[in-house]
Amino acid sequence: MTVHHHPTDETLAAHAAGALDIGRSLVVEAHLEACPRCRCWVGSLHAVGGLMLADIKPMALSPGALDRTLAALPAQVPVQSPPRPRAATAEAITLPRILEGRRIGEWKWLGPGIHRCDIEVPDADGARVFLLRAAPGTRMPHHTHTGSELTLVLSGAFAHEGGTYRAGDFDEADDDVEHQPVVRPGATCVCLVAMTGDLRLVGWLGRVLQPFVRI
Amino acid sequence: MLATDNRRVAPRGTLRRLLRSPFNRDGPPISAMPQPEPPPTAFDASPLIVAVARGDRAAFARLFEHFAPRIKAMLMRTGLAPQRAEDLAQETMLTVWRKAHLYNPEGASAPAWIFTIARNRRIDVLRHDRLEAAPAGDALPDATDESPLPDVALASAEDAERLRLALARLSAEQLKVVTLSFFESRPHSEIADMLGIPLGTVKSRLRLAMGRLRDLLGEAP
Repeated sequence: MTVHHHPTDETLAAHAAGALDIGRSLVVEAHLEACPRCRCWVGSLHAVGGLMLADIKPMALSPGALDRTLAALPAQVPVQSPPRPRAATAEAITLPRILEGRRIGEWKWLGPGIHRCDIEVPDADGARVFLLRAAPGTRMPHHTHTGSELTLVLSGAFAHEGGTYRAGDFDEADDDVEHQPVVRPGATCVCLVAMTGDLRLVGWLGRVLQPFVRI
Repeated sequence: MLATDNRRVAPRGTLRRLLRSPFNRDGPPISAMPQPEPPPTAFDASPLIVAVARGDRAAFARLFEHFAPRIKAMLMRTGLAPQRAEDLAQETMLTVWRKAHLYNPEGASAPAWIFTIARNRRIDVLRHDRLEAAPAGDALPDATDESPLPDVALASAEDAERLRLALARLSAEQLKVVTLSFFESRPHSEIADMLGIPLGTVKSRLRLAMGRLRDLLGEAP
């Protein structure tokens, strides 16, 4: 998989600094699984913390801290569970490893050719995370955002003014961006999306349809 | 005759290297420079984590004695009170015990792995506080490890050494914002307040520092 579209430096740095909410870090992590270049770079940024931890002047713990912690260790050693079969959707998409163990909802109809299923994230303040599935050739409504939207293509491809986005590619949009993604013909496109705020449809048709849009 | 002359000529680039101070802005990427040996006393945590994964409590005790006081110090640097920092350091080490079997010793830097666990524990606990905003029960809520743990994204120990050299070549101002952001996990707005500089300056300084690190590590921009 050759990745052509990456998160911005600002997003990668915020992720490495632990400054993103859970939803957005999930989508960035899922991109890292697919992208050695970003993985290496974020790894370096994590290592900054590791180096500084190794070098910091230690602060003694209170007496008995080690014994108390040893006493709190579970009797059983956690074992490496055999790799679970990765969660697959109806479209037989292999989901990123980082989604393992997350609760994933049912596919819901959003509009012609478009389905969505929510991924549970224990962070009420943060971005909502969902899978978006769109049939080949689907023209998404022309829209902008009230917050920010991070999108990772898992399969298929879509295109908009910014280029063509294929599996592993990462797209960022915010309220400055007004776009109309179109799914490439030939294959269903499935994306992992983290979104804060919501979509705003553009144009008179959009204003008419807005009340019906559930995204 | 020619051969003799040639022998006197230093290998190409030597002079340039000699003239270049270690802090020369235009130096070669770190990867192209001679690497110093790591100090012989460096604490090698990696085999200990592997032993912990097999349930070795003695190895856990050694890890704890080395890292718990450092985690406590780091958490105090982020602004936690000493007792809170100590509780969270112990929590972090419990998480290390639970997650040791997920640690990949092939190339993952042990301090980076432990740092990330500590950082995520702090984020989870602060998030939990914020969501609950309830009267404090136990000192530590039973926060699960909710933040994704980037096992897939850790640099090797060797990369970490290259990074140490790269950090040494940042300007003092750049190193400061990098430390506050990536080690102390402070939001940009807080960094601006602490340093008494505009938010935009924090962002641009970080951006410059990132670009410089990338260059020094010899990565594609």
